[in-house]
Amino acid sequence: MGIIFEFPDLYLFPSGLWVTIQLSVVSLIGSLVIGTVIALFRISPIPPLRWVGTGYVELFRNTPLLVQLFFLFFGAPLLGIRFSDEPLEFNFRAALLGLSLYHAAYVAEVVRGGLLAVDKGQIEAARSLGLSYLGMLRYVQLPQSFRAVVPPLANIFIALVKNTSLATTIGVVELLKAGELIESRTFRTVEAFGSVAVLYLLLTIPMGIGVNWLEKRLRVAR
Amino acid sequence: MIEFEDVHKHFGALHVLQGIDLRVAEREVVVIIGPSGSGKSTLIRTVNRMEPIDSGSLVVNGTQVNAKTVDVNRLRRDVGMVFQSFNLFPHLTAAENVMLAPRRVRGLSEKAARERAMELLTKVGIPEKADVHPARLSGGQQQRIAIARALAMDPKIMLFDEPTSALDAEMIREVLDVMRDLAKEGMTMLVVTHEVGFAREASDRVVFMDAGRIIEDSPTAEFFAGAKEERARQFLGKVIKH
Ligand SMILES: Nc1ncnc2c1ncn2[C@@H]1O[C@H](COP(=O)(O)OP(=O)(O)O)[C@@H](O)[C@H]1O
Ligand SMILES: [Mg+2]
Repeated sequence: MGIIFEFPDLYLFPSGLWVTIQLSVVSLIGSLVIGTVIALFRISPIPPLRWVGTGYVELFRNTPLLVQLFFLFFGAPLLGIRFSDEPLEFNFRAALLGLSLYHAAYVAEVVRGGLLAVDKGQIEAARSLGLSYLGMLRYVQLPQSFRAVVPPLANIFIALVKNTSLATTIGVVELLKAGELIESRTFRTVEAFGSVAVLYLLLTIPMGIGVNWLEKRLRVAR
Repeated sequence: MIEFEDVHKHFGALHVLQGIDLRVAEREVVVIIGPSGSGKSTLIRTVNRMEPIDSGSLVVNGTQVNAKTVDVNRLRRDVGMVFQSFNLFPHLTAAENVMLAPRRVRGLSEKAARERAMELLTKVGIPEKADVHPARLSGGQQQRIAIARALAMDPKIMLFDEPTSALDAEMIREVLDVMRDLAKEGMTMLVVTHEVGFAREASDRVVFMDAGRIIEDSPTAEFFAGAKEERARQFLGKVIKH
């Protein structure tokens, strides 16, 4: 490792890591919001909403993430969609959108499973009190599904963190790209990509630990 | 208060309610008995439109329950429902269970809802369990809280679907006591139960159902003195024996 620290390009690691963190956090929130809405569509009493939900999940789960990113990156401008006039910002936003949309499909399936696992008697009790369908969702069905969805959601989000590395292919200078740049300038291949791997672990391992802690707390809360 | 006229309902090919005629007046307590699968639950679930009907007329509190224009959430505020399996919300404490509808449906403040919840928990005899989650309560306590929860919207009618069937003998009494008090206060009640003692003391009429039909509908005293219908007598014999 010693010699690598003498290179001035090392700042690329923290800045790449920061971009990876931003990509991860924003797409995590994006996929959670979109995925929850799609899950609600999928269990909706209104058939057209259910069709939209099912179509979404099938489309985004059954095509490669890389293809989706390329589609957004190369295809969006041709369709007249400009994420930004500034090229780096354009790449970043295309990656955010792609990562959010793709992982939302997986989030939707998990959230749907959690919602369906709530006892029917709970829903009936809530409705019999005069709560509307949306009120019942908000105060009874969604909170009760929370416990069941935390572990599988965590797995999706760990995958999401790793999948942010694909953004490198559409010109986002995130952690992997930082490693590539350093490698190409120093020829320290093992050190450069080894460092990249370690930095990903620094993100994903605490997530796993955090989830275990949360799971335990949720179990006690009951 | 509740008027069924020639009400029919199917579940697919199954004809569950086959021409129900039934009237429950204000302040009246009517007990429904009958063999399992005869349609008792379905019948009381039509009252708050948990089950829609196929034909006939059902008027509750002056409104045609199945009219397209009816605001079903509005209707349900006036009809409390208590289930065999309690169905308390496990993620909320006893008090929060009782407070949920007043807060989220009626828009009461947290403080006002809490006060009302404490009153109701006192009424059902367990104010000290206000901040406990349902999983830590006995079945009898849970069912009493479920009754308090149903009462929190100040309903005009209370529906009970075998409220003590899931309880051990010693807990049945504490739940029936609460129901008896309610009956004394003049609550309009429609109760599916096989608790003959409760029916005898607290009800005005007993309705016997079999295979989707009301076979007998008699004042309580007459019913127990000798049901007119052979099937009702046989069933009563079985229920009382065990
Ligand atoms: N949601 C449903 N879908 C289909 N069949 C049902 C449904 N609910 C009840 N049934 C059937 O309707 C009949 C009457 O049920 P129910 O009203 O629960 O009877 P009871 O309460 O007298 O035991 C039973 O044969 C039952 O299997
Ligand atoms: Mg039943």
